[in-house]
Order: sequence, then C-alpha cells, then structure tokens
Amino acid sequence: MNSRRYASFLTSGEIAKNRAVLTVASDRLNASPEELQQMKKEIADILTRYLNLNDAFEIRVDLIQKRNQGVQDVKTIQIK
Amino acid sequence: MSKVIVITSGKGGVGKTTSTANIGAGLARMNKKVVLVDTDIGLRNLDVVMGLENRIIYNLVDVIEGNCRIRQALIRDKHYPGLYLLPSAQTRDKSAVSPEQMIKLVDGLKPLFDYILLDCPAGIEQGFRNAIAAADQAVVVTTPEVSAIRDADRIIGLLEADGIKKIDLILNRIRIDMVRRGEMMSTEDVLDILAVNLLGAVPDEESVVIAANHGESLIGSNTLAGQAFLNIARRLDGETVPLLDLQTSTSLFQKIASVFRGRESH
Repeated sequence: MNSRRYASFLTSGEIAKNRAVLTVASDRLNASPEELQQMKKEIADILTRYLNLNDAFEIRVDLIQKRNQGVQDVKTIQIK
Repeated sequence: MSKVIVITSGKGGVGKTTSTANIGAGLARMNKKVVLVDTDIGLRNLDVVMGLENRIIYNLVDVIEGNCRIRQALIRDKHYPGLYLLPSAQTRDKSAVSPEQMIKLVDGLKPLFDYILLDCPAGIEQGFRNAIAAADQAVVVTTPEVSAIRDADRIIGLLEADGIKKIDLILNRIRIDMVRRGEMMSTEDVLDILAVNLLGAVPDEESVVIAANHGESLIGSNTLAGQAFLNIARRLDGETVPLLDLQTSTSLFQKIASVFRGRESH
C-alpha cells in the first residue's frame, strides 16, 4: 500500500473547506482565486489607509444588482 | 395540487437517481401517489435502480410524440402500489424533447399524482433545461467534496435565475468516521458554503450498493441510509423531523489536537 507523508497543520477536511469557499466565491464573482485574493488585499489596504481601521474591524462588501419586480441579487464578499 | 419537484445536482454520480427512487418509495410508503420521471434521455438509470428494467414497453418520448397514452407508459413499482415510474428512452438523446413538451407532459401527470419527482441528468445543458422547465421546486444533491459543492452552487444559481425559489439540499455520502478525523467536510461546512435549507444528510453505507444490486429501495430496511431517506420524504411532505445523529462536528479535543499535528503518514 502506498503511503504519503503530508506536512500539514490543517486536516484535509479543513483544506477542502477553504478550497471550496474560494472556488465557489471566485465562480460566483467570475474572478480567479488569485485575482480575488489580490482584490481583497488591495481593498483592505486602501480602506485601512484612509479610515484608520485596526484588526478588530471586519470588512464586507455587498454587490447589489436590482432586477425586475423588486427583486435584488446580493453578492457579499468578505474582505477581512 | 400536485407538487412537481426536480432532483438535480450538476455533478454526475452524487446520488440523484438513488435519492429520487428512495424518496419516491418513502412518499409512497406514506400513502401518497407518486410518479418518478426519468428525464435522462439516452442514459436511463431510474428503471435499473428501481428494478423495473425488464418491464419497459413505452417511455416518455413515446408519450410526448403521441405513440401511446400516458397510462400505457407508466410502470407500477414492485412494492408500493401508489408508486409509478415513467421511464426515459435509451435510444434517443436530449434533443428529442423540448422544455415546452416537458411542461405539457407534466401537466398530463398532475391529475393522477400527489408528487411528481423529476430525476434530472447531470450537466447544465438541454437535459437540465428540460427537467427544470416543469418544476415548482428543486432538491439539489451534493456530496461533501470540493467539486460536487462547486457544481451544486452553480446549479443553485441557475435554478434561482430560472425562478425556482424553493431549493432544498441533500448531502449524500457522508462518512462520519472521516468527518470525525477531520478528513471530510461536515454538514455544517457544506451549509456554510451553499447556504440553502438542508433537507437531510445520508450516510455512505454498503447497504446502498447492495440495495442497488437488487434493484430495491432502502425504505423500510433497518439501515441508517434508509431511515435518512424516509426522513427526507417526511420533511418534503412538511413534517418536522429531527436530523439523525450522524455526529458531524469534531470535538474540541480533536480541534486542539489538530493544531499540534505534524507530519501524517497515510
């Protein structure tokens, strides 16, 4: 039987969850995972520069698309 | 008023057909009149899972093309008198049917049944479009794997865009031992990502393979998977049923231990 050694402080389940979260987010927003990471970092940097935010703050962005009959499509991106 | 429910997933092989057959049997056991429609034209499977593969004379394409009446194509289940199969065609493909024809077919079934379950093929093309056209609500089947979850999310998006508002989730093939060891995503993990209502979680068991070998459902068997499917049928019918104790979250000790984990060999 083959055995593989994984150096890891995360279980494979936790790794899978992180990958699933990122993949789904990038699919929903039509951006690659790397682009998403870069975008989040830049937004966090810009806001922190102007608004003096410390680590206690969470940053979340809502992209709201108005559709017909009063329906709204909301995509929430967790920045930090 | 009949309920028309499409059972879909995006990803193939996650358990749509198995779920359709078992939920159908569960509802029939609850004395509902149920028809299971195999909409996978060209790759039919629902007949095999139900053990009715030798009883097919007419299929849904025959009904749509007017070669036979609806009742001639319906095959009664071996065990439950209120459960029927409308099989798919094996020698045609998905272009044989249009969404409008599917809607008309389902309208013809509504007077006869309490529940119409549409077993949807994998993918997002014509087969999927046909199956969701006539549905009022959807059940999305996924497994706790990155690829299945990704596809389920896409499918949920497409269902919502098509105006289907009631969307429930079945999490299939949970392996509790692996979830406890942290080697599989838990039910909570999956719900964090997909954020739809959980209809039920079904464990991965040998009993499922064995039942499929026999062409039988798991309903009424003394198995956890069978109980899970029956509970799903009951919830679909509006009953409040507590989730089976599949122990899906890891203990605090295991979480702390995982922080100190170094190299692992497999």
